[in-house]
This record gives sequence, structure tokens and C-alpha cells, in this order.
Amino acid sequence: MSAAAAIPAPRRRERTKGRAFRWLLLSTIVVSGALLVTLLADVAIDGTTSLSWDFLTSAPSFDPRIAGLYPALMGTVWLMGGCVLFIVPVGVATAVYLEEYADARRWWNRLIEINVQNLAAVPSIVYGILGLAFIVRGPLSLGPVVLAGSLTLGLLVLPVVIITAREAIRAVPPSIREGSLALGATQWQTIWRQVLPSSVPGIATGVILALSRAIGETAPLIVIGAAGYVAFAPSGPDSAFTAVPMQIYLWISESRTGFAELAAAGILVLMAVLLLMNGVAIWLRNKYEGKW
Amino acid sequence: MRVKYQEDLAELEVSVMGAIDMVVGQVDRVIEALMHQDLALASAVIAGDDRIDGRYLEVHQGILSMLALQAPVAEDLRLVAALLHIVKHVERMGDQCVNIAKLLPLSGHDAPRRDEIVEVLVRMGQFARSEVVQCRAALASRDVALAEDLVSRDRDVNLLQREVFRLALEAGDDYETREWAMHMTLVARAFERIGDNAVDIGEQVAFVVTGLFREFSDSSSGPGPTLHR
Amino acid sequence: MTSSVIAARDVETRETPLEAVFSLDNVQVCYGDVPAVAGVSFELYKNEITAFIGPSGCGKSTLIRCLNRMTDLIPSASISGSLRYHGIDLYGPGVDPVQVRKRIGMVFQKPNPFPKSIYDNVAFGPRVLGMEGDMDEIVERSLRKAALWDEVRDRLRSNAFGMSGGQQQRLCIARALAIEPDVILMDEPASALDPISTAAIEDLMLELVSQYSIVIVTHNMQQAARVSNRTAFFNVDLDGGRRVGRLVEYADTETIFTNPSDPRTKEYVTGKFG
Repeated sequence: MSAAAAIPAPRRRERTKGRAFRWLLLSTIVVSGALLVTLLADVAIDGTTSLSWDFLTSAPSFDPRIAGLYPALMGTVWLMGGCVLFIVPVGVATAVYLEEYADARRWWNRLIEINVQNLAAVPSIVYGILGLAFIVRGPLSLGPVVLAGSLTLGLLVLPVVIITAREAIRAVPPSIREGSLALGATQWQTIWRQVLPSSVPGIATGVILALSRAIGETAPLIVIGAAGYVAFAPSGPDSAFTAVPMQIYLWISESRTGFAELAAAGILVLMAVLLLMNGVAIWLRNKYEGKW
Repeated sequence: MRVKYQEDLAELEVSVMGAIDMVVGQVDRVIEALMHQDLALASAVIAGDDRIDGRYLEVHQGILSMLALQAPVAEDLRLVAALLHIVKHVERMGDQCVNIAKLLPLSGHDAPRRDEIVEVLVRMGQFARSEVVQCRAALASRDVALAEDLVSRDRDVNLLQREVFRLALEAGDDYETREWAMHMTLVARAFERIGDNAVDIGEQVAFVVTGLFREFSDSSSGPGPTLHR
Repeated sequence: MTSSVIAARDVETRETPLEAVFSLDNVQVCYGDVPAVAGVSFELYKNEITAFIGPSGCGKSTLIRCLNRMTDLIPSASISGSLRYHGIDLYGPGVDPVQVRKRIGMVFQKPNPFPKSIYDNVAFGPRVLGMEGDMDEIVERSLRKAALWDEVRDRLRSNAFGMSGGQQQRLCIARALAIEPDVILMDEPASALDPISTAAIEDLMLELVSQYSIVIVTHNMQQAARVSNRTAFFNVDLDGGRRVGRLVEYADTETIFTNPSDPRTKEYVTGKFG
């Protein structure tokens, strides 16, 4: 039997189709990459001139030459801090409940599950309205303060945390749980000593991804009343605040000259922080992936 | 590795060698009984064969167990198969001792003995005994040369058997003497069979070591066929 | 051979009378409405290795998991009949499954060490159970019993995943021994291991049986033949269209493999099916 007959070559039409498909995929990557690069380049051109240490440490002002990002940066830091303190316990506890305790056959558990998936897709402005109605005013009546902002953003990204935490918990093999239970551990001991410690990298990744979404959200902050012009950093969870996206929005809206460059610089800062956070999340995920 | 298996296998071998030792004891007793026409000793030999039969059954069951439960291979398998044959030969040797012991009372208390015949028989017995001891040693040390040497021993036993036969033909004219002499030829045959069984055990030892089953050439027949494993 | 009658096998006389560790009476396990194994009645004895053998689907794994209430973890599983451990009804009211599992340990088919150090793996059980005593001593004792101490004494703090499969399984055994159980259940403990590791685990079982009672599920008949004192053969019964596992024959191992009484046992051990 000749070599050609032993292993038949692919038909010409199949080969052409294969090649065409590859080119199609390649071109989509090129197009989306090009778009992103153009965007970044545009911003960079406008913004790098204004980037400086003074920019990061000064308060905004009517003079674009001395205006800075400091209060907005601090506001964002406070917001994110509060957000983390909220989403980690609530998100992890929900995930643990859904994965370890909930009987999937019961209707209310299925309801919770469906809702979590849906909530992840709700537009952010709806969360803003929610925050305004129930946290800033209404039952909690905190006013337009940092804490209110943290809680609102927290609610926004909570579904992301719950979903990733569930994935991380689910990734712990049942054999580990079985082994632990077979030694006489209770379910709680198994969760606390085996499942959660093993899920930490996955949960951390989820939290970082959640934060990187929250950090850029503007609409909810506008609705709940993050101040437009704030010249000071927040002094506590109960003080007025502004955030980086807010500040960028204001500078862009400013019709006077000079502020466009500031806005671009602000965008650069925001993007740098985002890139850093996402990078850390990816590194964490890769480091602990496939540990089983 | 497989400690229990090794122990069980060693125990089986020890069991078989113990049976060979029992046979040596029986041969000693039967020679003694023959020399002194000791009928009480002869009865003891007959009763003592139960022990050898019991040991045979024990070893047989142990081998079945070992094959079913431990699945021995290679040299271990050859050893187990050989032990099965060996213990059968041992049991036969025990039976031959019983045959001799049964022949003694048949000649009555005042046997018309011919001392020259008895002398040859005793020598046959002693040669047969040494063959049994030698085959045991060959098994214990897996010594093929020692096993093969049994053949020359056995030739001597066969020669002595012919001698007994010749002497028996010239034993005498009266009925009782002739009857006694015929019984003595049967005793000689029994000793000769003991020797043959010892040679067979030697063949099994060679099989364990070499994996080849070969009949040792002996004086009663030419070289036998070689059966390859 | 003389004519005296000699028994083919001497009747085995034990030095001490048999003590039953588990007594099962008409035990049935169902998943939902479907019975997996039914009508099981027999006793398992102290300081013996009892093997459960049979074709796949015969319920032997299900049954062994009843013995330490691991079936509780499956929501749809239900058990009927009487299952007694040293006379106590294992499924009676007021019996705490956690305490059950302290007395009856388990080793699984695929070695499942925790992603922790070797030391922490062995110490996990004693820690969660609040056992008193010097932890270092407990760890060393358990590792020695599992014939693993000499190999790992210098790297107790290293991750358990760095060990070979056979070592990992012995670590799981050490882990189970650390809580000082009475019984060790093994669900196909060597089926994921190479022959040398398997032989090491079998030797270990034979050593441990003087102190513990061991029950092993194995699909490898030769393994059951090599190590067990008593063997229970289970088979799938096509009971009116339904497949149910049943206990067919239970006897000492030598009998099962040299002279089984039930024809189904005969067919299984000679490899004619299963």
C-alpha cells in the first residue's frame, strides 16, 4: 500500500475552508487590536503632557495648570476599600451557602441562583437609582457619602464576586471534601479548613475583577450624588466624596481650554490602575490554575 | 514484598522436608524390625504411616491454596509443582515401608531365616535410607549435582535386589523356607521402590532449578526422554 | 495410602472465638426509589480482612460506604434493615455520624491527600477531632504504622503532592490511622497504583490487621485472594427487570477460591463473567 493510500490527504475544499477560517479569525483580532491601540494612542497624545507628580497630588482648581487628581484618587481609594469590606464577606458567604448547604432541588435556592445570574447583567444606572432610593435616602438615609457609594458599588459588583467565588469553591474536588468528612470533620470544619483555603486564589481573582469593574463606574456615582467639585480628600466613611471617573467626566464637560488634556491624563491614570489590577488577577489565576 | 506469601511458600517446603524426615525414621525402624524380627516395631511402623498420609493431605491442600490464592510464577511455580510431585513420592515411600512391615509377621515368629539374605536386605535398606537423606539434602540446597548422584546410589540398590533374588532362588527346598524367601524378595522390591522414589525426587529438584524435566539415566533403563518446560 | 479416614482439611480451630464487628440484617440501600443493593445479611469479624468482590454495579462500594455513614452525603440515598456496629444500631437516633467516622476510617480509590504539607495532612484528623496528645508524636506514630516514616521524615513540611501515587496512598492510610479508628474501610485502595505500590499496600494491610479490622472492596480478585481472610461475593440480580446487587456467597477466602458452593461464585472467580 503506498503512503498516499495509507493515510489519505485532506480534500482541497476542506483545506481552503480551513485556511479561510484562520484568516477570518486573524483579521478580527487585528481589527479589535487596532481599535484599542488607536484609542490609547489618542488619549496618550493628549494626556501625557499633563501627567506629573503634581497632577496626582493637587486638588482640582479652575486653573488647568495647577488642577490635580488627588481628592478624586483618594475618593476612589476610600470607595474601593469600603467596597471590598462589603463584598468579600457577603459574596463569599453567599457562595458558600449556595455551593455547600443549599439543596439544589428546593425552589427557593433555584430562585436565588437565577437571580444572581440576572443581577450581574443589570445596567449600572439601575444600581445608582437603587442606591439613591434606599441607601442615600429611604431606610438607610446615609446621605451622599463615601459609605453609600461603597455600598452601591458593592451591590453592583456583588454578583461577579458570588459567581467567581462559586466557581472557585466548585473547583475544589469532591475527593478532598470526602477525605475530610471521612476523617470525622463536620461540614463546617471541612469548609473552613479545606475548601475555603483552597479557593482563596480564585476568590481573590474574582474580587480583583469586581473591583476593576467598580473602579470605572460613573453612572451610579452621579445618581447617588458624588459631588462634582470637591477640593478635599474624604475624611471618613461619612464624608462627601468624588471619584476618578467623576473627575474625568467633569473635566471633559468643561468647555474651557486646557481641561481636555487633564481629562486625558486622568484617563491614563485610570487605565494604568485598571491594567495593573487586571494583570494581578490574571497572574493569580495562572499561578493557581490546574493545581488539582 | 509479599512477606506472607514468601512465608507460606517456605512453610510448605519445610512441611515436605518434615515428611521426608518422617520417612527416614520409618525406614530406620523397618530395618531394625527386619534385623531382629521385631514384630512390635513393625506394627509401630504401620501405625506411623498415618502421620505421613496426614502430612501429604496437608501439603496437598496447602499447594492448592497457594495456587489459588497467591498465583506463584516462575521458579516459585516450579517449586510448588515439584513439591506436589515430591510429597506424592514421599507418601509412596511411606507406603513401601508399611509393605515391608506387613511382610515381616507373615513369616511367623520362628522364621526360617537365611542370614545371608537378611544381611543383603539390611544393606539395601541402609542404601535406600541414604538415598532418602540425600534427596532431602539436594532439595534443601537445590543441588542438582547431588540429585544426579542419586542415580549411581540407586544402581547399587538395584544390584543388591538382583542379589537377593538370586539368593532366594537357592534358599532351600522346604516349603516354609521357600515361602519366607519369596516374601523377602518382596521386601527387596519395596526397598528398591523407595530408592526409585528418591531418584524421582531428585529429578524434581533438577526441574525446580533448571526448568527442564529430565529423567535421570538409571541402571534399569536407558536415558529417558527430555521434556522441556 | 492407608485405609484410615483422614479429613481432607483439618478443621481450623481458632485460638480465640470470633467477635463480630459489624452485623448486617436484611440491609437495603436505595437511591431514590431504585434499590442499589438489597437483602444483605452477614457479619464481619474483628482483626480480619474481609473482601467484597463482584462485577461492577453489584453494590459493593455502596455497601462499604454504609458502614461509616458516608452514604449520608448523598441526599437521595436511604437505608433500611439493621446495621449494627459492636451491637449498636449505626443508623439509630442519636448516633452522630461524625463519631461514627472517628471509629470507622476510610481510604479511597484515588489517593486524595489534602493540598497541605505531609505533617498537616496527618495532623488534620486529630486536630479537627480535638484529640489530645503531642501532635508530633501522633504524626510520627501514624506514619510509622503506614510504613512511610523513613521515607518522609526529612520532609514533613513539604507538600503532599510531591509524593508518588503509592506514597500518597500510604499517606492517606496514615491519615486514617491518626484518628485511632477501630475499623479501616478501603474502597479499591490500590486500583490506581502500579504493581510495586500495590504490593506495598497489601503488605501494609497484612501488618495492620493484627490491630484493626479491615474491609476492602476490590475488583481485582487476585488481590482479594492474596490478602483477605474472608470474602463476600456480590452479584447483580436481574430482579424482575431491575438490577439489584445481592450477597451471593460469604465464606473464608480459601473456600471461595478453591471450592465455592454457589455456581455464580464459581463462574465469577474462574473469570467466566464479570
